[in-house]
This record gives sequence, structure tokens and C-alpha cells, in this order.
Amino acid sequence: MSLLNAILIGLATGIVFGIALEKSRVFEPGVILGQMQLRNFIMLKIFLAAVITGLVVLAVMNGMFGVKLGLKPLLYKADIIGGLILGAGIALAGACPGTTLAQIGAGYRDAWFILLGGIAGALFYGYFDAPLTALFDEKGAKVGFDQMLGLPFWMVALALAAALTGVLVFLEGWRPWRQEIGADQDGLVSSISTAAPGISAAPRHS
Amino acid sequence: MAANKDKDMLDPRTKAWSPYVAGAIIGLLQIPTFLLMETALGASSSYVTVAAHIASLFDGRVAEIKYLASHMWGPKNWWQVAVVVGIAVGAYLSMRLSGARRQPISPVWSRAMGTTTLAARAPIAFLAGFVMLLGARIAGGCTCGHGISGMAQLSVGSTVAVAAMFAGGILAAALLRRA
Repeated sequence: MSLLNAILIGLATGIVFGIALEKSRVFEPGVILGQMQLRNFIMLKIFLAAVITGLVVLAVMNGMFGVKLGLKPLLYKADIIGGLILGAGIALAGACPGTTLAQIGAGYRDAWFILLGGIAGALFYGYFDAPLTALFDEKGAKVGFDQMLGLPFWMVALALAAALTGVLVFLEGWRPWRQEIGADQDGLVSSISTAAPGISAAPRHS
Repeated sequence: MAANKDKDMLDPRTKAWSPYVAGAIIGLLQIPTFLLMETALGASSSYVTVAAHIASLFDGRVAEIKYLASHMWGPKNWWQVAVVVGIAVGAYLSMRLSGARRQPISPVWSRAMGTTTLAARAPIAFLAGFVMLLGARIAGGCTCGHGISGMAQLSVGSTVAVAAMFAGGILAAALLRRA
């Protein structure tokens, strides 16, 4: 794979990704913070839809054509501590590392500062990778639930895809997505009376 | 009415698509990624690639720091930088085609933190970005690499990381006002 081809493939992939993120409104700070405040479930819906599709795609690619998977190692301390810090950052940014770029494209100016902060944070980690890794002192294996269960990947992947589809059907019945988008497609709805009694609706800014 | 709305679903001029359709499109992107790049979708390590190159202008030791040096060169690192640049381009095109223009900052920040101007929001945004990438690099992935890609591969570590990510997010969001 030449560098130029890799960049062209990346750009094409990213453009489709960016369109999907913008159209789904999951890049909206109102949607991402709303998910963490458990008042808007659009992020979870997209997330699970992407995971389900990925499970089916990889079940076919790995199960039928032998395409190799690339799991990240299981490192409890790093995964839990890093995950907690990452989640706090996502809530305060109203973005994740990928959707920050979608916010920039869509016109949110504060996302440029999230990007700069992110580059600084990545650099900070880079300088302290060796001592942090030594501090955690973990040796991780690349372990999947399929291996833990002793079953073929495709079987567990399809079973999980089916179970998560059930979760999506429930979510859509409980909170139809069209009612969560908001009048300005930013995940802010003025009426939340159906699901959160006791929380008064704030007036809409427009 | 409903049929009309559904017909608009993949129309680039429509402002909002179904999250299920959009999520499925994202999941399908694993096909070219696994077949052509022999990797999974990810976003956060591209920040290391860019950061390492910027830092190398000021600090000659960067190339000797194993973690930073390993992210600087090669098709896979630059592929991911291209993906996140493409995300910005795609979102821009999508916004222009539908006319879903955005204010400088989302109105959610006025509701959640009383922040109404870009100047007030900027330092919080910078700090949040710093925390976000520090956490993502400790965990070795973000919503994309651990979340969308790791869970689709049944990775136990990624599932632990995603659970911690939502826990951290929910705890931090509890400190803010509900919009």
C-alpha cells in the first residue's frame, strides 16, 4: 500500500463517515452531552447500529473469507482509567475525537479548540507513555468473547447482533428518533415531559 | 407524509437521516477498511500523528520517543489522518447541501454551563479536548476504535473501555445542568 493510496482511501472513507455523522446529527454537542445526561438516545442508536452492522460484516468476512481481525489487548487498568477520563472529556467537549472534526466541518467554532486541546493531550500522553505503561504494569492478551465462550467468531457475532437489534427496537419504541432530533436538528427538544417528569423544559434558543 | 419522509432518507439535501441508516453506513465502512487497509476504523491515534509532527519542529528528541515515533510515518498512520480530515470535508459538504448551518457554539452550552460566547467556551473546549485525548490514548482507543470497531470484533478490552467511557461521561455530565 503506497502512502498516496492510503491517503486517498482514507479521504474517501472519511467523507462518507463525515456525511453519515452530519446527517445523523450525532456530531451535535446537544446529542452527545444529551446522551451522557440520559435525556437523548440518538448517540446510542447510531453507535449500536454501527456495531450491529460491523458485527454482521465481520462475521461474513471472517467466517466465510478468513479476513483477520485486529483486536486491541485486554488491559483492565488502562481500559478503565483511560475510559473514565475519555468519557469525562467527551461530556465536557460535547464531542468525541472523530466527531470533533465533523463539528469543525459543520461550522461549530469551538471545535477548533477541542482539536487543539486534543493534539496537546495526545502529545502529553506521548511524552508520558513509557512511565504510565510501567506504572500500570499490565500484559494484555487480545481476547474476544468468542474465545472466552469457546465458540466460532461468526456465531457469537451474529448472536450479539441479533440481541443488540432487539435493544434498538426497544429504544425506538421508547424514544422515537424523530422526536429527539429537535426543531433545529441539534438534539435540543423543548418538551421532555414524556420521559423525565419533574424536569422543567427550558425555553428554546433560536 | 411518512412515505415522503422515508423517500428523503438518503437525500443529501435532507437535514436529518435516521440514526439507524447512518449507523449502518458507518458499520459498512469496515469493509473497505479491513480489506484495503487491514485495520479497523479509528480516529484518536491520528491526533498523535499530527501532534508528533508538530512537536518534532520544536523538539529533536521526538523521533527517539518510541510511542511518538511509531505514530509518525507509514500508510496506516496517514490513512487515519486522512479519515479525520475526510470527516470534516464530508460534514461540511453535507451541511452545505442541506443548509443546516450552525451557530459558532451550540445552544446546549448556554443551557448546560451558562456559556453563550465563543470566547467563554474556547478554554473549556481546549481543556475538554485535552482530557478526551489523554483518556483515549491511555485506553488505547476512543468511541470509534474501541467502540464501533472493538465491540464489532467482540473484544473484551474494548467492551470494558466503552463501559468505562459511558460511566465517566455520565458522571461528568451529572455536574452540568440538564439542557
